[in-house]
Amino acid sequence: MRKLIGVALVAGLTAASFAIASPSAQAFERRDGQKILVTAQRQAVPTMDPSVKYDASIRTMQQAMYDALLKYVDTPPRIVPWLAESYDVSDDGLTYTFHLVKGAKFHNGDPVDAEAVRWSFERTLKLGKGPAWMLNAFLKAENIKAVDAQTVTFTLDRPFAPFTSFLPWWYIMNPKQVLANEVDGDLGQKWLIENEAGSGPYRLKRVEQGTLYELERFDGYWRGFEGKLGGIIYKLIRESSAQRAALMRGEADLVTGLSPDEFDQVAKAKGVVTSTQPALTAFGIKFNTQGKLTSDINLRKAVAYAFDYDALIKIYNGRAVLQSSPFTDAILGKIDVPGMPRKDMAKAKEFLAKSKHPNGGIELEYVYVQGLEEERLMGLILIDSLKELNITVKMVPLTWANMVARGSKVETSPDMIAIFATPVSIDPDAVAIQYHPSSQGAYYGVHWLDDPELTKMIEEARFTTDWAKREPMYAEIQKKIVDLQPEIFGMMRERRIAYRDWVKGYEYSPVRMTEEVDFYPLYIE
Amino acid sequence: MLRFTLRRAVLMVFMLLGLLAITFTISHIAPADPAALAAGPDADRAMIERYRVEYGLDRPMYEQFAIYLQRLLTGNWGKSIHTTRQVWDDLVTYFPNTFELVMFSILIAVALGVPLGVVAAVYQNRPIDHTIRILTVSGVALPMFWLGLMAQLYFALHLGWFPLGGRIEMMTDPPQAITHLLLVDSLLRGQFSTFVEGLHHIVLPAVALCFPALASIIRVNRAEMLETLNQDYIVNARAHGLSTFRIVAVYALKNAMLPTMAMIGLRFGWMLGGTVLVETVFDWPGIGLYAVQAAISSDFEPIMGATIVLGFFFMMTNFVIDLIYGILDPRVREQV
Repeated sequence: MRKLIGVALVAGLTAASFAIASPSAQAFERRDGQKILVTAQRQAVPTMDPSVKYDASIRTMQQAMYDALLKYVDTPPRIVPWLAESYDVSDDGLTYTFHLVKGAKFHNGDPVDAEAVRWSFERTLKLGKGPAWMLNAFLKAENIKAVDAQTVTFTLDRPFAPFTSFLPWWYIMNPKQVLANEVDGDLGQKWLIENEAGSGPYRLKRVEQGTLYELERFDGYWRGFEGKLGGIIYKLIRESSAQRAALMRGEADLVTGLSPDEFDQVAKAKGVVTSTQPALTAFGIKFNTQGKLTSDINLRKAVAYAFDYDALIKIYNGRAVLQSSPFTDAILGKIDVPGMPRKDMAKAKEFLAKSKHPNGGIELEYVYVQGLEEERLMGLILIDSLKELNITVKMVPLTWANMVARGSKVETSPDMIAIFATPVSIDPDAVAIQYHPSSQGAYYGVHWLDDPELTKMIEEARFTTDWAKREPMYAEIQKKIVDLQPEIFGMMRERRIAYRDWVKGYEYSPVRMTEEVDFYPLYIE
Repeated sequence: MLRFTLRRAVLMVFMLLGLLAITFTISHIAPADPAALAAGPDADRAMIERYRVEYGLDRPMYEQFAIYLQRLLTGNWGKSIHTTRQVWDDLVTYFPNTFELVMFSILIAVALGVPLGVVAAVYQNRPIDHTIRILTVSGVALPMFWLGLMAQLYFALHLGWFPLGGRIEMMTDPPQAITHLLLVDSLLRGQFSTFVEGLHHIVLPAVALCFPALASIIRVNRAEMLETLNQDYIVNARAHGLSTFRIVAVYALKNAMLPTMAMIGLRFGWMLGGTVLVETVFDWPGIGLYAVQAAISSDFEPIMGATIVLGFFFMMTNFVIDLIYGILDPRVREQV
């Protein structure tokens, strides 16, 4: 009887949940008669300091409040001039001269000048946090010079082709404002957690930690605005279903964290615009190439040929594409590598026969992020795929922190580990370097690959500045990586974004991280 | 009584110290490297080392613990390596929200649970008892977050009676902090509309959170009432012709309340530390989410901070329950 009652109750409540009526859309928020755009996001923004940290949520806010010398836009991504209206490179590829736009102002009215640019780069390099790793091996703070108010030069230690591809992530701060708020020589670190000193389209109005962040339009923005928006509220809504509800009720104008199923549901609703976009993010199952079993390349190839790639796409309701190279589609110089492994049991068995375990009979460990349903399903695909090779798979869910910790040592790095990796730039080096020994132990370097020939190729390519010469080098690098099979090359998952139809101007670029949004072009009609 | 209170207070200090030592050890045994996590996924080794040194993670464990305790005594709760924010600021922001939610929730659970437990006992095995049993069984069996999601979908999205989540409306400025409890502060500052708004926002999460507690309070109270109602002195009271209401509400309930009180105290403590699911569903800016986030990133100063605060309130609750025990039961008072 008790059981029956419980079942009835569950059924009743579930039915109620399905009976949810059509969205009762409210109008957008207003403040002082100005339209306010509300975006619902899953991740908090603990600090806004451009020199200290970046991730999808932090950069969404930073991008709204700060400008960089250059900026990424569009699909496929391009780099366009921003605070620098143009730049020249010396013939030896060492010196970059940037010419700043005139009339750009910080939010307190100070001009954005060459000294501010120099100081901002120096601050990030000195603190050695956040984006510092991108340039610290090639650029010394003392080699950045403010020549005059509008000109700044960077002299690199050696030619480094990806240099400009990193600059969109180095935001320019107002040194006067920051230093005025310095505590015990911290270069304003404490102050910049919840304050800003930028020149971007929006200024910070309100921070309610754990709840929301509010931005207001900076009327003196040097580039002006397309549509007029009074401000933006970045509201934390952590559950996918709550995000959906907020969008339906019109309490949020734009949401980024919907699950595939929730996304399909809102796509059918009236007044909601959805779009899926290709991303720079790659998913792969990385082998430990120095592991006890997986150091055997024939075993790795056998697993790669046995894997059911189509099932991978089904996990995402079809909203994903298989990788045709270790490089994802938006990466410059990406080619379709011939002979990319696809499910082929005959070949899988052939490779297994050549391995040290020709009859299988082994167990491989598959480590994935606890609670990530998609990665759990991928594990099930693995179990299913490898059964025919007489290989069993042990699924081990770990927290991200513990997973990274295991991967950071070659002895503890698991046989197989599920990894999503988003390169920070579209330069091919951003992906290639992941297969360089210097990446070993980082989350994308859990393959512990160490191939002297490949290493040499990667180093040569990154220090060549002529693209005509670099491009074929990267074609070879891609082939070489596939040949070494350090991972099961997986898929590129599409990004899902949904917004109310009154939101205009949404611009996407694959180089942005999952759930990162560029607020600048957005407005409400 | 004074001696009892003092002894408990001293004991509590030692318990807190023990709790700290255990939490510290556990958070350091975990293989995760907080410095690497804080430096970011792309950071090079030098950058990770910089974090390690800045946060003192390069020192031996006992030294780190000693430094931590020393700093704590001077009122410095440290800062999060993950968010770079001061732990004390975060605790002051988040804990009051959770405290309010749990207080409100336990009030609902007691206000409904005790009478329903009594009713179920008095009408044992009658239809009303069975109806209440549906509530108790589902309260124990249904996962809280599911209940929360369903309540949100139905009462907030479908019917529109309640807000979807959050502490107050986006455009409302919270009252200037006095106690950091929004409902209290808004009243103290005379912002009555903010008070109503806060109340409106707290209902759904509090109801979702109270269900398991409500269920156990009903069950314990019912069982105790049944036992008490069969005692000789109740039969005696009946024989003397006392009214049923007087027998149940005064004579029986007072005795049945002892184990129920213990249950309420225990549940209150659990709820304080177990709000994370409800906080996630309703975007309640509470300490549960904060503590879990810290634990996931092996961010030990916030973990310690949250542990101290939650541990302290758990112990305080037990302490208060003990006092109430003394009031309800003269035998306990005499022992003390």
